[in-house]
Amino acid sequence: MTQSTTQPSTQPTTAPTPSQTTPDISGSAMLELGDIHSYYDHIHALKGITLKAYEGEIVALIGGNGAGKTTTLRTISGMMKPRTGTLTYLGEDIAGKPAHKTMQMGMSHVPEGRRIFPQLSVRENLEVGAYTITDRKLIEERVQEGFAYFPRLKERENQLGGTMSGGEQQMLAIARALMVNPRLLLLDEPSMGLSPLFVEAIFDIIVKLNKDHNTTVLLVEQNANMALAIAHRAYVLQTGEMKLSGKASDIAKDESVRKAYLGDE
Amino acid sequence: MELSILLPFIVNVIIGGLVLGFVYAIIALGYTMVYGVLQLINFAHSEVFITGAVVGFEVFRILQDSAMNGYLKLLIALLAAMAVSGLLNVLIERLAYRPLRGSPRLVPLITAIGVSLILQDTLRFLEGLQGRFDLTYTLPAGFGDKFCAAESTCAPVGNFLRTIGVDVQLKDVILVVVALVSLGALNYVVNRTRLGKAIRAVSQDRVTAGLMGIDSNLMISATFLIGGALGGVSGVLFGLKFGTINAYSGFDPGIIAFTAAVLGGIGSIPGAVLGGLLLGVIQNLIGVTNIFGNLLGLANLGTIDASYSKIGPFIVLVLILIFKPTGLLGKSNVEKV
Repeated sequence: MTQSTTQPSTQPTTAPTPSQTTPDISGSAMLELGDIHSYYDHIHALKGITLKAYEGEIVALIGGNGAGKTTTLRTISGMMKPRTGTLTYLGEDIAGKPAHKTMQMGMSHVPEGRRIFPQLSVRENLEVGAYTITDRKLIEERVQEGFAYFPRLKERENQLGGTMSGGEQQMLAIARALMVNPRLLLLDEPSMGLSPLFVEAIFDIIVKLNKDHNTTVLLVEQNANMALAIAHRAYVLQTGEMKLSGKASDIAKDESVRKAYLGDE
Repeated sequence: MELSILLPFIVNVIIGGLVLGFVYAIIALGYTMVYGVLQLINFAHSEVFITGAVVGFEVFRILQDSAMNGYLKLLIALLAAMAVSGLLNVLIERLAYRPLRGSPRLVPLITAIGVSLILQDTLRFLEGLQGRFDLTYTLPAGFGDKFCAAESTCAPVGNFLRTIGVDVQLKDVILVVVALVSLGALNYVVNRTRLGKAIRAVSQDRVTAGLMGIDSNLMISATFLIGGALGGVSGVLFGLKFGTINAYSGFDPGIIAFTAAVLGGIGSIPGAVLGGLLLGVIQNLIGVTNIFGNLLGLANLGTIDASYSKIGPFIVLVLILIFKPTGLLGKSNVEKV
């Protein structure tokens, strides 16, 4: 337990347990990236990323600052176009498809920094999250489900999103992404800037979602201890390249990973 | 001038200012909505608005010998102006602004001024083909009469208003009713519908709106359509109030309405309405400054007549930019679109 002494908030003993059922990773993947290259103008941000996520998996994407974790998620959801490489989701080529189209294919993306609509109320934020649903009854059902997952949001129903605390905004961002009952959930740094109590609550929810709805989760985290504790598999990125991949429990034991990302001396 | 005459006079000046203010308010909405989604000051809006006034003129001209009910003619004029101005605005965004998305903000701004000039001369040319320049509205009979005149069925209402010194024409009342209905409809669309929520989401964070499955380009087009349609309504109301317009009449009210939007807090819908009403009243009050020449013995004030009235809004603009650049209802406490 040496690694936990430096970061008391991330003790594996307090982390939620990973999904009991092991997802089937023998068939065809739900999401598949093949040698993806993405650029910000002239900056080569992703240098050949290959990655798979199978139905029902929690896949962690870890790595330091500038490793390309966020860029990977942005490329998958269509916020940016990959320059080369293949990107398939549910058997369909989605490379270069704009975000508003991929989001209609049962994918949700909780972006970095939460990106709550500050001048919309909590309820309106959720309703906008359900934009692709036209059935008003179903929208109301989902709003209530969201409130059940996050009772705090129910209390804040009519408050403007921008006036809430960071933890509450993170809950809202996740609840908003869940409005469409996604098959694939992309989560970018859900623990960023949150108190340990909130971090645990958020990770509990991720595990619960995965168990209850078989939601596939692609989780980007700086808090690698926590992410590896709940993930089935993990990928380690470094300066735009895939350094390592495998079972999360194996990655958590890897010497170089422990030194670089888990706070081991 | 004695107080017993002055008071009703001022009351009527203020009422006239509010009527004018409603026209400014509806025009200002077009500026503020587009600013909300694109952070662009659409200087072509003054021409989108005056195009509505020209369409209104044409409808009343074509229908002038028809026995059709006057209100029905007005409704047709309004709907036609809304359609033409709305679609024109969508077209302007599609052709002139969208290709410049992502370029420095000065570029679309200058383009907007260019579009404005092109539209002015196009309108002039189209009317010039038929040998017209100044376009005088042929309003349905009765629109120019006093509101609830002595011989009409609602004479008691009119008499009451006259005893308390309020003197308005039927067309002023029509103008305010149309403006209020437009505001109500806009408020409903923006705050109560799925479309309105999506437009607000796009105006607050376009990229994240995309992650909600919202096609931001479609919402930007919708905003230009709504803003343009409101411009069409305000054009007809402007023609109704002032009677004669031409292709270049859009500039003054356009720039004042833009000032109203800034005064209220650009991007804010309630702000645009408040700003429009305030500027209408201020403009009318400045226009009668000369009455104080007699009252206070300040003879110099006597020369400040109606021709000076438009300095009012611009003094306000300068003051607001110095003391409260975010406007009266700017940013922090209102939703923008």
